[in-house]
Amino acid sequence: MALINTGYLEYEELESIQTLPSDERYAEGPVAIIECVQEIPCNPCEAACHFGAIKIGEPITKLPTLIGEKCVGCGMCVARCPGLAIVVVDKTFTDTTATVAFPFEYYPTPVVGEERNAMNRKGEIVCKGKIVKVVNPASYDHTPVVTVEIPKEFADEVRTVERI
Amino acid sequence: MLEKDVLVIGAGPAGLAASIEAGKYGASVLLVDLNMQPGGQLFKQIHKFFGSSAHRSGTRGYDIGKQLLKEAEESDVEIWMQSTVIGIFPGNKIAIEKGLDSGEKEMVTMQAKKIIIATGASENAIRFKGWTTPGVMGAGAAQTMINVNHVKPGQKIVMLGTGNVGLIVSYQLMQAGCDVVSLIEAAPKIGGYAVHAAKIRRAGVPIRLQHTIIEAKKGADGCVCGCVIAQVDEHFQPIPGTEETIACDTIALAAGLKPTMDLVKLAGCKLTFNGPFGGYIPLHNERMETSCEGVFVAGDTTGVEEANTALEEGKIAGISAAEDLGLLTADAASDKRAEIWDRLHSLRLGPFGERRMIEKEVVMDEYKERIGTPSPIQ
Amino acid sequence: MSAELTDDMIVCRCEEVTVGEIKEAIREGARDIVGVKRRTRAGMGLCQGRTCEKLVQQLLVQELGISPKEAGTSSARPPVRPVTFGELAKGEVL
Repeated sequence: MALINTGYLEYEELESIQTLPSDERYAEGPVAIIECVQEIPCNPCEAACHFGAIKIGEPITKLPTLIGEKCVGCGMCVARCPGLAIVVVDKTFTDTTATVAFPFEYYPTPVVGEERNAMNRKGEIVCKGKIVKVVNPASYDHTPVVTVEIPKEFADEVRTVERI
Repeated sequence: MLEKDVLVIGAGPAGLAASIEAGKYGASVLLVDLNMQPGGQLFKQIHKFFGSSAHRSGTRGYDIGKQLLKEAEESDVEIWMQSTVIGIFPGNKIAIEKGLDSGEKEMVTMQAKKIIIATGASENAIRFKGWTTPGVMGAGAAQTMINVNHVKPGQKIVMLGTGNVGLIVSYQLMQAGCDVVSLIEAAPKIGGYAVHAAKIRRAGVPIRLQHTIIEAKKGADGCVCGCVIAQVDEHFQPIPGTEETIACDTIALAAGLKPTMDLVKLAGCKLTFNGPFGGYIPLHNERMETSCEGVFVAGDTTGVEEANTALEEGKIAGISAAEDLGLLTADAASDKRAEIWDRLHSLRLGPFGERRMIEKEVVMDEYKERIGTPSPIQ
Repeated sequence: MSAELTDDMIVCRCEEVTVGEIKEAIREGARDIVGVKRRTRAGMGLCQGRTCEKLVQQLLVQELGISPKEAGTSSARPPVRPVTFGELAKGEVL
């Protein structure tokens, strides 16, 4: 697995390990992408989803599976995953742009309207992004979920924004 | 002389869990710890924990600590902080240097029917030229500085080691506003969880595999001003000609932990050597009792793992102590232990855990063979 | 582990014992952690070997070709942490 050699996942690799949403599902709107690919004893995402869209079962080392039809893209799992390994991607945001909602635990927390460099899994700057939403209720326990708008073609690549 | 049913040494997750359990069944419990605050490593663990819902997963370490302290209070556990056990003697007599509110210390001797040792682990040092230069420190020490004392150890950090400690502390150093320049790892692959590594990479920090630090550079101020790294061969030997210098003011070492064994040795518990668990550890049975009758162990002292397994082992030790005090029937105690062993089993599954599961069996099998029945402290 | 070891490198910080002194102790017959400790005081200082024991172990493994297990571990004696004579004198007799 490249991930344990380099620390980042190639999209193809992720695709081969995880159940990713189908193109049809992407066309319906926001959906969770679970980038959890190692069998570690962890299952809070399963309980975090009120729609039963994430399944782990027994034993808890099993990888989580996303049931695309059940996922509403609410982002509860994004804040809850201790590994910060879940994002919500909306490829229907506008005709030309998509959004990626990701956990962001650095200060300063991005603010709506702000422009920041959008980064990929390797920490490389991919494009400019515009912050369109920041959610940080008490139930997220200090893990703000930030949504960045980016050109649609980078939706599978962008996973965070630059720290400033 | 002060008398207690149970003395628990170490107020980390294992010691707190043991105290709570023993206290819950009616034992009088004294919990001592040499630090200022109880909680052990929990209060510096600002990240959300892995694990199952049964292990409060998704909760930050310090919140688990707060919850345990509340439960300890409810179980009437007496806690002495800044207090150090300096001797354990036959007849379960203990000498404690007790920290007083005035800041002074006082020697107290006491007798405990049962002793639970949960003294945790300490960080391994790594030697290279200049390793004693100010600015070289354990990753755990750097974590204490940022998360407990709210002081940055430096601005530009190089982290040696990519186990979970190296990865998590690197992330937290960035959260505290430090620049982590690079992570250095001698092995050909990242040691810790991939999701932790992914956070580091996403933030743009390089992870240099098959490299090691060969020198800490000392600046004019006498402190670290950089480090020399080099590529290593398959025997982890530096390859001449591959050296490069990285500017930094802090070198954090995450080179693993070893169980803190002094009190275990002092009690005379029989030891075994176990590489994966960090070196010499006390032999113990499935009740967490050592070769010494009435002396139990739990947590990293029994082999380095993590907070969740420490909590569960602590509970087992507390239950076993309560059972031996006659506060719990043998059947009830054994049922409760079985439940906990099931949970421990689930924590030790998967590629990261199964080795520990196997090694635990080895330790307990050796106990059966070499010890069988424990005997009093000599 | 892998870095070049010069004889002047400190191994036990509390007692300022160097690589050279530990190698000398091994040449004189020290075969384990306790043997090195008796000859050099490595591990007898404030931290009681919590930092250096592993480093002494590595030197023994490297110099003698023995296993970490064979290098053994130090023995512990009360008081395992430093206390003042004043405090000890005020305490009860066990």
